[in-house]
Amino acid sequence: MEHSLFSKPRDLFLDVVNPKDYVQIDSISHIYQSLKSSVQKPLKMILLFGRPGTGKSMLLHKLHHDLSKHQKVFMFDIPIVDEDDFLRVLAERIFAYSSHEMITLTRFLEIAKAAAYSDTPIVLLDEAQLYSSSLMEKIRLISDARVIKFVITLHKTDKEEIIAKEHFQTRIWESIELQNATAEELKIYIQKKLLKANCFDVANMFNDKNIKLVASLTKGNFRETNKLLFSLFSLYCWYEENNPALIQYNALKSKWIEMAAIHTGLIHA
Amino acid sequence: MLNIQNLERRWLKYKIKFYAPYILGVIALLTLLIVVTYSKKSDTDKIQALLASPSTSTHQTASTVLEPSMDFVRSFQTTLPINEPPKAPLQKNAQPVREPLPIPKLVATPPPDSSDEKSFSLNRTESKLDIGTLERRFKETSNANLGLFIARYHYDHGNYSEAYNFALKTNSISNKIEESWIIFAKSLVKLGREEQAKKTLQFYITDSNSEAARALLDTIERGTFK
Repeated sequence: MEHSLFSKPRDLFLDVVNPKDYVQIDSISHIYQSLKSSVQKPLKMILLFGRPGTGKSMLLHKLHHDLSKHQKVFMFDIPIVDEDDFLRVLAERIFAYSSHEMITLTRFLEIAKAAAYSDTPIVLLDEAQLYSSSLMEKIRLISDARVIKFVITLHKTDKEEIIAKEHFQTRIWESIELQNATAEELKIYIQKKLLKANCFDVANMFNDKNIKLVASLTKGNFRETNKLLFSLFSLYCWYEENNPALIQYNALKSKWIEMAAIHTGLIHA
Repeated sequence: MLNIQNLERRWLKYKIKFYAPYILGVIALLTLLIVVTYSKKSDTDKIQALLASPSTSTHQTASTVLEPSMDFVRSFQTTLPINEPPKAPLQKNAQPVREPLPIPKLVATPPPDSSDEKSFSLNRTESKLDIGTLERRFKETSNANLGLFIARYHYDHGNYSEAYNFALKTNSISNKIEESWIIFAKSLVKLGREEQAKKTLQFYITDSNSEAARALLDTIERGTFK
């Protein structure tokens, strides 16, 4: 199983956010460039929103990866939901202020001004919909004071849009929406990912019919696509070991794609 | 860990579920088509049956040559009073002729006729039965129009001796029916008694001045009669 033709492709589609696995797709690339230029502007706050699995976290990680080489950028991919902890952790990581005491907002702003950075540090907050309203209000006040620039990602749901409107509407200077991938974009995403890892044989197995089926099952959601393809290649690994005669190397079996979709819960059977 | 057997089973279930509406739709459509076709057919049959009920006999008579009997009934009603004095007018009319025609006698059905009947009975058993009924009715009623109908029927069916007999009987009931005289003369020609046919026609022409009789006589004399 270790030497399976499909084990490498399977591992490629593990749903792990790694900026090194970032695949450049025209639409996302355009958004990323827009995000990068927005960060350079004297904006208070940037909102990156979209439905789950549209690549927000990946973009945020990519941004962190690219900017951190020459700028003070701090990534918070796991939300710090406790308000006291949030300010304390921020003070410690950004301004190297360590304290076991509770830090008030006023105290935090004093610490930030005392640090006197020439470039405003950038804080990347993933999954911001998990923050409480009062914590969001504090984030707004900090960004208003221009001591930190925030880039926030939000899931686009009705409830979360309300949060976005209530807390950030007047303060967000830039908001970027991410859309689900089209079938063509998904094809590029899958093939680029496979080709990048030298999985040429497997990349050639994807025909348009396969891609359309994958796109229709995942609705262009990158996370669901990753999960589906991980299951699919796990299936291929199993068949390769147990019943290799069933494998066709010129195209992927629709049946197995559907079986993988059943396994991942995309199809309720 | 993947449970392939379970996945295969779930996949099959999913496919059945996926195609079930289409299959049911197709079955429903086919059933509907069959029902519609059947009901249409039965409706058509009913309509045809309704339409055919009065015309069935018409259709049968078309094959059994009974259709003209309707005309006959009409003519029968209109010409009934004429039939009251039978035979006598014919004899009276025959008497003034200076050169009296030989009195036609009923021809005994010759053997060739029976062979005709054989083929007739093979092809039109029902028709024969019907014409038999009509002949019985003719015997009972002595209706000239019925006699003419039977004579025409036999002539049309090549049964010339029977045509001759019934035309003669009709003429004896009523000597004013032109067609009956024509059939009588034509049957004579067909039976090879051309001279008698000519004399009969000449007699009738002098009495009735019939154009049809004259035309027939002309064709017989010229030998163009078929």
